[in-house]
Formats: sequence, structure tokens, C-alpha cells
Amino acid sequence: MARRELDDEKKSYSGLFLFCIGLLLMGTVWSVWDDSVSRRPWKRYQAEFARISYDKLTADLQREEERLANDPAYQEALTKFAEAQDQISGGEGAERLAQLQAELAVAEVAASEAENALRLVRSEIEVAWYEYDHAIITDHSIREPKEHLNALLAEAEVLDTDFKAKTAHRDQLQNEIDEINLSVREWDDTLRRLTSDRERLKQRLDDTVLFASDGFIIPYFPAINQIVLPEFDRSNFDTPLQRVDRCTSCHIGINRSGFEDQPNPYKTHPHRRTLLGSHVGCTPCHEGQGVATNSIAQAHGNVQFWEHPLLEGEKVEANCIKCHADVQDIEFADNIARGEKLFMQVGCTGCHLVEGYGDARKIGPYLRRVAAKADPSWLVEWVTNPHQFRPQTRMPQFFFTQEQGKAIAAYLLNASQEEGQAWLDARPAPEGIDPTDTALVERGRALANSVGCRGCHMLEEGQTATLVGSAKTYAPLLARIAEKTSSRWLYYWIKNPRDYSSHTAMPSLRLTDDEAKAIVSYLMTLGEKPAAFASRPDLDDAELINHGQGLVRQHGCHGCHEIPGMEREGRIGVELSAFGSKTLEELYFGNRTDIPHTWDGWTYYKIKEPRGYATERIEQLMPWFNLPDEDIRLLRVFLTSRTEGEFSEAYHALSKWTPALVEGQRMVHYYNCTGCHVIEDKGGDIRVLYQESPTLAPPILKGQGEKVQPEWLYEFLKGPTPIRPWLEVRMPSFHFSDTDARTVVDYFIAQAKLENPYTYLNPAELPPHMVQAGEILMSDDYFACFSCHQQGDKKPEGPPEGWAPDLELAKDRLNPEWVVKWIADPQTLMPGTRMPSFYPGGPDDILDADEPKQMEAMRDYIWTLGLPQVAKLADPDSAAPAEEPAESTGPAPETTVPSGESVQTDKQYVAPAVQRTDRG
Amino acid sequence: MCSCRHLVLVVLSIPVLALSSAWGYEDGVVSNGGKIAGTVKFVGEAPAMVKIETTKDVEVCGKTEKFDEALVVGDGNGLKNVVVSIVNIEKGKAQAAEGGTLDQKECVYRPRVILSPAGAELNILNNDGILHNIHTYSEANPPINKAQPKFRRKMTQKFDKAETVRVECDAHSWMKGWLVVTDHPYYAVTDASGMFELAEVPAGSYILRFWHETLGEMTQDVTVEAGQLVSLTVEMVQN
Repeated sequence: MARRELDDEKKSYSGLFLFCIGLLLMGTVWSVWDDSVSRRPWKRYQAEFARISYDKLTADLQREEERLANDPAYQEALTKFAEAQDQISGGEGAERLAQLQAELAVAEVAASEAENALRLVRSEIEVAWYEYDHAIITDHSIREPKEHLNALLAEAEVLDTDFKAKTAHRDQLQNEIDEINLSVREWDDTLRRLTSDRERLKQRLDDTVLFASDGFIIPYFPAINQIVLPEFDRSNFDTPLQRVDRCTSCHIGINRSGFEDQPNPYKTHPHRRTLLGSHVGCTPCHEGQGVATNSIAQAHGNVQFWEHPLLEGEKVEANCIKCHADVQDIEFADNIARGEKLFMQVGCTGCHLVEGYGDARKIGPYLRRVAAKADPSWLVEWVTNPHQFRPQTRMPQFFFTQEQGKAIAAYLLNASQEEGQAWLDARPAPEGIDPTDTALVERGRALANSVGCRGCHMLEEGQTATLVGSAKTYAPLLARIAEKTSSRWLYYWIKNPRDYSSHTAMPSLRLTDDEAKAIVSYLMTLGEKPAAFASRPDLDDAELINHGQGLVRQHGCHGCHEIPGMEREGRIGVELSAFGSKTLEELYFGNRTDIPHTWDGWTYYKIKEPRGYATERIEQLMPWFNLPDEDIRLLRVFLTSRTEGEFSEAYHALSKWTPALVEGQRMVHYYNCTGCHVIEDKGGDIRVLYQESPTLAPPILKGQGEKVQPEWLYEFLKGPTPIRPWLEVRMPSFHFSDTDARTVVDYFIAQAKLENPYTYLNPAELPPHMVQAGEILMSDDYFACFSCHQQGDKKPEGPPEGWAPDLELAKDRLNPEWVVKWIADPQTLMPGTRMPSFYPGGPDDILDADEPKQMEAMRDYIWTLGLPQVAKLADPDSAAPAEEPAESTGPAPETTVPSGESVQTDKQYVAPAVQRTDRG
Repeated sequence: MCSCRHLVLVVLSIPVLALSSAWGYEDGVVSNGGKIAGTVKFVGEAPAMVKIETTKDVEVCGKTEKFDEALVVGDGNGLKNVVVSIVNIEKGKAQAAEGGTLDQKECVYRPRVILSPAGAELNILNNDGILHNIHTYSEANPPINKAQPKFRRKMTQKFDKAETVRVECDAHSWMKGWLVVTDHPYYAVTDASGMFELAEVPAGSYILRFWHETLGEMTQDVTVEAGQLVSLTVEMVQN
């Protein structure tokens, strides 16, 4: 035993220890390495960026140096500066300067001594004043204090003179020195100005790296950069959470200009000025795992269970909508804006509830009276496969068998029979519709192409009109309309769609009976009725109807259509409010293995092949919209934005105008106002028909909120009256509800951001000399406004396409402030308008050539047009009716207007304020 | 590193040089220059002139008969109002400092096709005693639409960039004209007999461009020798 112990003690373990130490050392080195290098890839990027940045700045600096070397101004400044310095650093100049500086030193001392002496005496004066006042109050003798005070005051005066003299001497010396130095200083300033770019580059270069010498650099110690957004998110317990984005640890050049051509992560943000100037953080738009720094995959959130992976491609715009409710209006958000619009216009909201879109209107036709409208055979065909009849229709294909189609048609026709028949009975077939009358058909064709139908509809194949997305039509292509319905229904429908359907986007064009008959005659030539294969008796089978009702309910037809008997049914699709947050586990791929098992893949193929995930056990009902690839991607962008949890409202880009803008845009999309009008620089689809004569197209609504009076716009929307009677295309009557009309008015006001849209100018209170000056300015001798503008019944000369709006309507329609702006510069307010600019260049002999006054005068005159009785309005007491001048009751407005005042004030119209020079 | 940077500078400057040679025009003195003169003829039978109905301001505009001048063919099928220019001239005589004068006479632009040097003031006259306006449909220059009421008998307007601009009067729909803003002086407009002349052309090979508002454009190569006259006849066809 003892021997063995002894042996153990003798045995050397140094090898083992060495090995262990080595192992420990390696472990330590590895852990330091791992912790500081391999798990911190951003360090490498920062070092590399320092290198790139340094090289770039060095190159910039070199270029700047070269530029300066070749800049004659800089060279001149250098020479002049040197010369100026020479002047004062040697020879006579230097001697003089040295002498002056010596004198200045002495003078400064003298001045300061004089100042001290003066101050001392002044403080003594304060004491003397006190003693003097004190003597008065305490009834002591004031003689002595007064003498003392006077003596001090006299002394102060002497000292003050001395001080002023010495100060003046000092200042004069200083001025002389400045004079000599002036040239040096001036050239120094010039040099500084010329080299400011170079100095800035040098400063930036210094700030870029810790140390640099001849291309060798030591970057700053790497550090994590982070942007903290306090109270950005909410936790599951609804407590505020901050969001931390460390993206700039790698993407270090993202907010610096000049790295646009670098690869990621060094690249400058492509929309840096707009998006990084006013926005905060990175992940609010891009998603990803902002705090992660261990690897690119982790930082970008491309790891299992991270719910917000980096948004790429067009999806990068998805989150814009989370803060910008008015996404249709903002820059760089085209994909999400189009996605949102498509989502609503294609009718997704009919089946799927999405928060914020729950009150979207039904987009399909009204079917409560469909028995009065649809041909039974056509209806069966249509329901079975709408794309066969109209490939571009928004109505999706449900893959019904013809038997199912028949059943649905049977239900729809029977359920609407009673109401439809009653409607029809009250509307007898009109006389005078004849599709075989060529002249009538041609008239109808011309009307249909000119009154405004083309703002939404294509009448025949090969035409263009507003599209929903890139392939669907907003309104039906009418090329086969005769197959679908009867001339009787069409006649009453186009006369007033609201008469048949309590709500529809289709407006009335206020067609006369004759116009409507001509148009219907034309429409009835479009398409030929096929041989009927289904007739009402076939479809009136109770079992069939019952089967149809089940199908309608099951497939949720009522999501888009008003259907009798389906009033209490709800949406049949799943809610999509948080669809963007769905994880792969929540998405059912059926038996499909041929597509990517990702959220993107699932969503794309669900829209592209909606029944693709059905299996023998699982039925799927979603219909097929036959959307092009591009549109599916846009819808996917919108769905990406539908996630759980919202960003804190503090981060939302909301202004007081936002709600009105959002509501207004939805109205515009629903009614397709942009089919005819250009609004916010978008739309105006009908303008393709007016390329030859754009002035005959519907007006562009630019700055409408600022231009018109809100009361007028409201009334106009409720009941349009022609403003440009020479236009063939008509503003339709949409029969807007009060709310809808107000939404449109508010929308235009919000666009113009008008705090106070209401303006009023009382014609009776306008200064008569202004009104008269306006009349003269607008006369043929000056601006000849009525050469183009209509004035009440007085029409301009020449063909109607050369006419301009009736100025008599202006006072009720236009904002008086806008009118002045318009006269001042029409081309800026409406680029391309035919209204020419008259200013600058007003006449010298009116209103003392005061141009703003002249414009105001014309506005004032316009405000009196069509008002023959201004006098009464102005001063009811001063003018008895009998004394009214003859002109004021005369029929011609141009003579009545300026002289509309009472007899005694009539003289004012020849007031000397307006003097005319006859220019012959 | 140094040589690399120079290489980069050289490479960068290549497109700049190429552009300047294509568009730049340098003024100089041309001694013993050649002359290009010729006639542009219309091929085929000249269409009859269409009369314009004066529908507005008849007492002024209707004084004389007016015809649509979109295609004016004169004696011997000479084609009027063709703009003839040298496309690829880089150096030659100086361009005039004064702009052209466009008169709105009895509601017709005179001349119908006017040349005016870029940067010079174009004089616009209105002695009609009625309101006209100058509405340009330009792309390179900002479009203008300026009223010229009767009291403003003359106004001037500068166009900085060379281009061919349609000019219309919105008050008189038939008034149409063309303003050719030139960046060098080798431009001419054919007269009523289709003749044109380009003088003081430095010797060299050039491409001549012929442009007509209705017939479109064509080009022809031409070589000018010092002090020599090049005569040519060009034919334009209606497509």
C-alpha cells in the first residue's frame, strides 16, 4: 500500500496539466472569438463600411482638390490672400502696423483708466445724492451736501470728456489696424467660402475612422446602433412595448447619401429623403427581427417561429397602410394602394369580413326584380359560367354544373317574380324602339358614345374603359347585351337605374325618351338571342327552386347581390382581419405538394386556383376570379398588411383630413368618378376618346375644393346642372344620398386642406369703381373675356367647342378668392387649360396699373353679372322704385350691372378713379 | 491606384464627349463657305385647298378668304413650308441674336412656319384689334398660353431649347402655326415655289433633314465643297 502511495506522489502529472491548460486556453480563446467575432457579423460590415466610406471620401476629397487646383477663382483668392499678408508682414506696412499696435496697447490702457476714474466719481455722486436727499428729509442743512454734489458733478463732466476722447482715440487706432487687415480678412473669407466643400469633406473623413495613414485605417470600435421606438407595440396584456431596431448596425450607410451604388448592407436607402426623413425605425415597414444581431437570417426574421419575416419585393409596401389610412394618396405605396382598391372593387368584402372594410357596399347587381330583367336561358348560362359570356367580368366562376346553374336561376327568377312583375306591369313596353331602323340605331350609337356611357362601359369589343385591376372591367362590356335582357327593361333602366334598383353605382344621364329609345335600339343590335333552352315553365319546378335556394345560400351569392330571401344571411368566408399573421400551421395545403409551402405560396395559389386545396374530404367554395398574376400579387400585398396587433396610434400618420380623404376615395372608387374625371392626377379613362379635342372631355378636377363653393358642389352633386352646355358628355345624376354628397364635398375640401371652405362676397357691397373698372377690363377693348365666355343667354361667337363657362354662374359656383388666383395664373392651377394668362401685362390706364387690383376688379364685376337689382340690395332706403334708372330693369345684363345703383349714386360710375385712354 | 483613377476619369468622360459632339454647336467664322440651294416638290396631284369658314370675329378675320394651309403646293408642284435643316453640323456661322417675328394677321399666323433662334426673343404681333392668344404645345420648353389683347400690339417670348412647336390660338380654332426654335443658323423654310437656300455652309458632309407638318420628315446626305453651290431637288410624298 505504502509503496503505491509513494509511487503516486512521484508520478508527474505535468503533461496532463499542460493538456488541460491548453484545453482551457483554447476554450477561452474560442469563447472570446465566438462571442466577439463569429456571433457578431455586424462588426465585419462596420469595418468594411469604414473602408468604403474612407475610400469614397478620400476620392471625393482628391476630386475636390483637383477642382480647386483648376478653379481660377480659388487660385486668385490664394494669390491675393498671400499678397495681402505680405503687405502687413514686411516693409512699410508691417512697420506701420507694429507702430499702430503699440499705440493701441497704450491707448487701451489709457481708455480703461479713464473709464475707471469716471466710474469711481459716478459712484461717489450716488453717495452725494443720497446725502443731499437725506438732508432734505431730515431738515438738516442742505448747503454742504449740495456743494459737494455739484463739485462731484463738475468733476464727472471733466472725466467724461476725457474718457470719450481716449475711447475715440482707441477706436480710431483700432479702425486703422482693421483697415490694414481688411484685405487679408476679406480674402480669408473668400478662401473659406471657396474651400467649404473641401473642409467639410476633411471633417467627414476625420469623423469616419479612428486613425488613418496612407491608406491604412483603424476604424472606430464597432458598436451596435439601435433605434428605439417607445410604446410602439402592445403586449398580449395590452401594456406598451418599445420596439428596438438594430438594423443600422449592419445597414450603416442607409441614411447617408453617396452610397447609392454600393451593395447591401452598405447601400443608401433608395427613398432616403422621404422615408427616412419623416419615418422612424426600420421594422415598422420592413418587418424582420429588429433586435437580433447574431446572423443575417435571424435579423431578417427568416427563422422558424418568428412571425414577422422581412417583407420583400412588392410586399415591402404592405405596412404603409398601417399608419397611412389614406394610402391611396401617398408616395411609394402604389402596390398596397392598388391592392387595397382591388380588394374592395373585386368584391372580396362580400364574403370576407375585414376590419375597417366591413361596411363596404355590395358590388353586384340588385336581384330583387331580376325576373323583370334577365332572359332565363341567359341567366342559366351566366350563373353556370359567367366568364364564358364576358371574360372580363368581375363576377367569379363557381364551377356550377348546368343543372346547378338551372337551379340557381330557378330560385332567383321565382323569388323575384312578384316584385319584378309588379315593376314591369307599371312600365309598359315603350313605342319607337327599333333595332332594324338604321338611322335610329346610328343615332343611338352616336349618343351612347358621346353622352358619357363610355366613362364606364365598353360598348363593343376592342374599346377601352375603366378597368378593375389590370384585366377586369368596372362596368359590363355591352357587346352581347341583347342576349341578356329585353328592350323594355333596358329602356327603363338607362332612363333611371335607381327606379329599378334601390342602390346601384350606375347613374342616370338624364336621357330624354327619344334619346333613350335611340340608345336602346342601338344596344339591342349588340348580340343575338340564342335559341332558348331554358324557359320559365322548366324553371318553375319547386324542387329545383329549393335546390337553388340552398346553393345560393351555401355559396354566399348575397355577399355581392341583393337577393330576396337572403336578407338575414351573413358573409360565408373566413374573416381576414388578421390573415397576414397566419402561420404555416394554420394554412391547409390539402394534397398539394407542387407549390411552395409558405404563406406567400398558399395565398397566391388560393387566389389563382381557389379550389386547389380541396380534397376528397374537404370541400372548398371560394370561386375563381380569373385574375392575372399581377393582380394576385397586389391582393397578396394587401393581405400581408392584415395582421394582428396595431402600431400605437402615436405613430399613425393621421391628420384631420385623413378620414374625409379615405371616405372620399372609397366613394370615388365605388362610383368610378375617375372613369371620366382626373382626380388627384389619377383616372380620366374616357379621355382616350377626346385626344383630338381634349376640351370636349369631362373636366379635370384639380384643386376642386379650393375652386368651388361647398354649397354649390353639394347641390350640384344632388342635381347636376350643365356648366359647359356645349359638351356632349354629361355629368350624370347619381342620386346621391345626403351623406354621400357630403362625403364627396368633404373629400374635395380635405384635398385642398381648407380650414374654412365657406366664402361669401355680397355683390351689393362691392365698390362701384371696382365693378366698373372690371367691366372695362373685361370688355372687347381690353381682355375681351366674352369672346369665349358665355354670359347668361349671351353666347360667344364661333363654334361651341371654343366656348368657356358661363360667367353668370360664377358667383354662385366659384370661390371668390380662387377666381382672382385663376385670373392671375390659370396655367399653374390647371396645366394645359385653354384659358390664357393675361398677367403680368395688364393695361396701364386702369386702376393705376395695379395688377392685383385689376384682377380683383374683374372678379367684382363677374359677381354682379346677372343681377339687375343690385341697387335694392345695396341700399333699400335710398332708392324708391320709381327712381330706378331705366337700365336696371333692361333685359341686357351688361348694361344693367354697373349702373345698378340708385340715381344719386349712379354718378359714381364715372368717378375719376377709372380713367380710360382711348387707344382707337 | 493613381492610374486606375485616371482610367475611370477617361471612361467617364467618353459619353460626355460623345454627347457634346452630337448636340453642341460652336459659332465661328466661315470663309469661302459653300451653299446648298434647292427645291422641295410634292409628288402627285396637288390636293385642292380647303376654304376655312370664319366663325368668329368676322369683321376682322373674314376680310379675306382663308384656306387650310396644312399642305400648300405651288407652281411646278413646289411644296411650301418645308423646314430644311442640317442635322449634324458642329461648327459654322453665328446664329442671329434677334428672334423671328410672328404676326397674327387677320387671324392667320404669318408666317405659318417661323424660325427663331433659341434664347432669342420672338416678337409676336397683334394688329388685328381683337383678342388672340399664343398657346404652344411644346415639350422641351415649358408650354405657354398667353393672351394678347388688342391693347398689347407686340409681345416677346423667349424659347431656350431647340424644338418644333405647334402654336394655336384658342380664340380662333383655325389658327395653327409652327414655331421652329433653332440651335444653329442652318435652317430654312421653303417658299411658295418650294425653294430654299442655306448659305455659308463650311465644307463637309452633312445630313439634310426635311420636315413638313403634314408629310412628315425625310433626310438626305449632301457634300458641300468650299465656295461651291450644291443644287438639289427633293420630293416628298403623301403617305
